[in-house]
Amino acid sequence: MTAARSPAMRRLQHRADVFRVLVGRDLKAMYKRSFLGFGWALGLPVVQLLVFTLVFRRVLAVEVENYPVFVFIGVLAWGWFQSSLAEGVGLITGNRALVGQPGFPLVVLPHVTVAVRLFHFLVALPLLFGLMWWGGIRPSWPWLSLPLLIVIQYLLAVGLCYPLASMNVLLRDTQHVTRVLLQMMLFMTPVFYDVGRVPDSILGWYSLNPMVGMLESWRAVLLHGAWPDPRVLAVLLLAGAVFYALGRSLFVHQSHRFLEEL
Amino acid sequence: MSEPRVSARNLGKRFRSRAGGRRESLWAIREVGFELGAGEVLGVMGGNGAGKSTLLRMLGGLGRPSEGEVRVKGRIGALLDLGGGFLGDLTGRENAVLAGVVAGLLRREVGSRMDEIVAFAELEEFIDEPVRHFSSGMTMRLAFAVAIHTDPGVLLVDEFLAVGDLAFQAKCRQRIEALRNDGCAIVLVSQGMEAIRTMCDRALWLRGGRVAGVGEAGKVAEQYEAEMREETLRRTPQTVPKVVGDGRRLEARRNRFGSGEGEIREVRLVPGKGVASGGPLAVEIDFVARCPLPTPVFVVTVTDRDGRVCLDLNTQAAKAPVPDLDGEGSIRLVIDRLDLAKGDYRLSVGLFRADWKHAYDFHWAGYPLSVDGPSGGKGPLAPPARWLMEGGAR
Repeated sequence: MTAARSPAMRRLQHRADVFRVLVGRDLKAMYKRSFLGFGWALGLPVVQLLVFTLVFRRVLAVEVENYPVFVFIGVLAWGWFQSSLAEGVGLITGNRALVGQPGFPLVVLPHVTVAVRLFHFLVALPLLFGLMWWGGIRPSWPWLSLPLLIVIQYLLAVGLCYPLASMNVLLRDTQHVTRVLLQMMLFMTPVFYDVGRVPDSILGWYSLNPMVGMLESWRAVLLHGAWPDPRVLAVLLLAGAVFYALGRSLFVHQSHRFLEEL
Repeated sequence: MSEPRVSARNLGKRFRSRAGGRRESLWAIREVGFELGAGEVLGVMGGNGAGKSTLLRMLGGLGRPSEGEVRVKGRIGALLDLGGGFLGDLTGRENAVLAGVVAGLLRREVGSRMDEIVAFAELEEFIDEPVRHFSSGMTMRLAFAVAIHTDPGVLLVDEFLAVGDLAFQAKCRQRIEALRNDGCAIVLVSQGMEAIRTMCDRALWLRGGRVAGVGEAGKVAEQYEAEMREETLRRTPQTVPKVVGDGRRLEARRNRFGSGEGEIREVRLVPGKGVASGGPLAVEIDFVARCPLPTPVFVVTVTDRDGRVCLDLNTQAAKAPVPDLDGEGSIRLVIDRLDLAKGDYRLSVGLFRADWKHAYDFHWAGYPLSVDGPSGGKGPLAPPARWLMEGGAR
């Protein structure tokens, strides 16, 4: 509890406080008046788990070992990414009061959205671990790479939120296009099926979707207890860093126009 | 004076609109310049669309100037969009922390000021209730209290002092005065000349985005008022003394006020200037809107000889559906029973902006009304009344 000495330190501290307070606001606002509270973080993934398991195992007879765990990993990781972008695209257009506040660090906002969604992801993890235990999967050393996976996916999501949110200010169609694309991406990402089913002829294009490598890595660690492919992780980390840097600078560059376009 | 807290040099902001396929650009403000030192208060005035809000935004760093530059030293506090970020489900305390941090404080700084903020907002009993249980007045008081306790180096204020009751407004003024004594530089946008005169050292008058006058507050306010009067005269041909009903005259600035964007052409009392106590009265108002007036408010007030208000009715309080006006029309106020005591009264009739910021046209005590009935008592009311006796008789 020492006074911030330099203006730069204070600025950093202030951004951290803004982040903390806004994350707190969003979490409280989402659950304060609901009976199930944080249980709702589990609602959608569990329903998806049940539906996918029923449809793909029983109806379509998909042959994947430990399918409930397989699909739940997909549902959770994809859900975090998808909900972050779906919400992030409206960050500026939906936050007029903050945009009109002199000196407010708007660059913090995408972090808030992605972090809130990360929180939901983390809340659902115990359920996943339970399912894994039940499926005979035990903790293993490769789990140590989980924080890195979280960091990479976090970077990717924030890096995409920046350009989406700033484009949406000038062109409100962005939010609709984003939702449609995300819906499409659900099918172009191995959420409920195995990458092995994708024909080799399109695998190159298919793998351009960063969430393909992401889900492969999540599953390598959690489902197979193996270390994720370091080359894939390196590429994803690089992509995340590039998205983040470019997206953020676009966002900062555009931010002086936000208020007048709202 | 040491280095100025705020300086604007040759400031200009151009907006481009792409309305109707044509590209147009419009200067919201241009060639605006001033310097403001610590502890100084600058009043900014001007009509609608003069560029006051754009100037405030540029000073607040919200948007990039198209020309010139702005320099601000110190943290900027703003009383602009109060309470906009409040969340109903959070408690007053949580919202206060949120608002304080959003306004530029650190969490612990808000925490150490919380008691002061709560006391200032007079919300000690309610601060841990969800804000959705607050009245709008309470919400505004809290928002204002937070905003004004952020210890800014520069404070931007847009038309405040409409918050809360008179006592609260007085407290706000005191607080602003205290900030100023601590060296805060203040830019205050106001349409009220009284606020400009009493609170500001200097004033900047904007007209069509350009500086129409700058200097000592009292002088600029005077120039501004003089021009407003001319402007009203110029805009309203009928503002030459107008004879109404019984030969009473309406004169601008004596008993007729208003910007003239809308005009009350004629007021008729039905059945007439003399009515019976307890009888019906209708007030028919013919008006003309010279430009689109968004949901304006019609007002009819009855005052007695001493100027006491006996009845004060308006379309906004009555939730009467007044649409956006443009052109001529008439509106009718029907009073089923006018239970006024016998005597002479005057009607004032007005047409106001939806936010009451100014009158388009106001005829003060312009229409005499005499009420006839049995005389008795001093009060202004004469409702149907009876005395009923029960018991106690010898």
